[in-house]
Amino acid sequence: MWLPLLGLILGISLGLLTDIQIPSVYENYLSIAVLAALDTLFGGIRAQLQQIYDDKVFVSGFFFNIALAAGLAFLGVHLGVDLYLAAIFAFGVRLFQNIAMIRRIILTKWTDRKGTID
Amino acid sequence: MKKFQNRPTRSSVNKRIIFSLVCLVLGFILAYSYSLSSSKKLSGQASSSKYFEQEEQYREDLIHQKERNKELTTELEARQQQVREIEKSLSGSEEQYENLIQEAEDLRLLLGLLPATGKGVKIQLEDAEYNPSSVNPNDYIVHESHVFQVLNELKISGSEAITINGQRLHANSYIKCNGPVITIDGEQFPAPFIIEAIGDPSVLVPSLQLAGGVLDQLVNDNIVVTIEEKSKIEMPAL
Repeated sequence: MWLPLLGLILGISLGLLTDIQIPSVYENYLSIAVLAALDTLFGGIRAQLQQIYDDKVFVSGFFFNIALAAGLAFLGVHLGVDLYLAAIFAFGVRLFQNIAMIRRIILTKWTDRKGTID
Repeated sequence: MKKFQNRPTRSSVNKRIIFSLVCLVLGFILAYSYSLSSSKKLSGQASSSKYFEQEEQYREDLIHQKERNKELTTELEARQQQVREIEKSLSGSEEQYENLIQEAEDLRLLLGLLPATGKGVKIQLEDAEYNPSSVNPNDYIVHESHVFQVLNELKISGSEAITINGQRLHANSYIKCNGPVITIDGEQFPAPFIIEAIGDPSVLVPSLQLAGGVLDQLVNDNIVVTIEEKSKIEMPAL
């Protein structure tokens, strides 16, 4: 359990300490990557709660979504179409859906537990 | 997450490693994006403050220039006021100056210091034809007194400059009878005498032709007088 936490802390510190400057054009990609990562993470948590969690799906989804989002934004910039908006929209909607699902599941579980206690 | 809390098996360790990797990447992306956006915000602020500073400086420069302009305008106004005062004081004496200049010019003309040009008259005094009946040749030759008469009349009538046979007369000129010739300022001139005078012909000619005046007297003395109006006479300076 402590290993992933350690990884998270290590990642955060690495990110904070990194002093690489990227051109402002590519900052969109990064924000989309963040969104994709968050989306995948919450999706994983939901899947875990729904007991349909699969390692391979989660990990591949995590990296693939990040890469896809960044690639889409890249393509959009070079085509002159704001494709990153599509990515933001899709990921944003899914993020909210996942969080709503997680909330409901937790609520249901809480109510159930309360019912059993009562 | 309950799965991770099971006793470590091979697949569980694998899972943990994968999860650590995922968390690392996530943390890195999050932190990096955060630091990037914060640094961008900082630099944005810095740049905006720089622009602001520049703008402020430009504004200050502008204000400075405007103040300077204002100062200069006031100075200009003061100067113009001065000029106007000077002009005002000048305008009073200007008329005087003009009169003085005119007078100086007239005096110079009279002195013969200036070359003169203008309208005028040309008077020719010739000895009469030899008259055998007359014993005295003085009766028919031109004397300096005749010349004097003409000159006086011309001067009285306001002629500005006079020449006799091309010799310019000035205020100190003298004319002397010297037998058949007259001497003007040391130069001898024989008859006929051509007297040219610059002045208003409409004044000069009638003044010469007054009844009982110069012309009559000259004709009386058997002198051949021709008076000619000239639209332009040029005289050299002395």
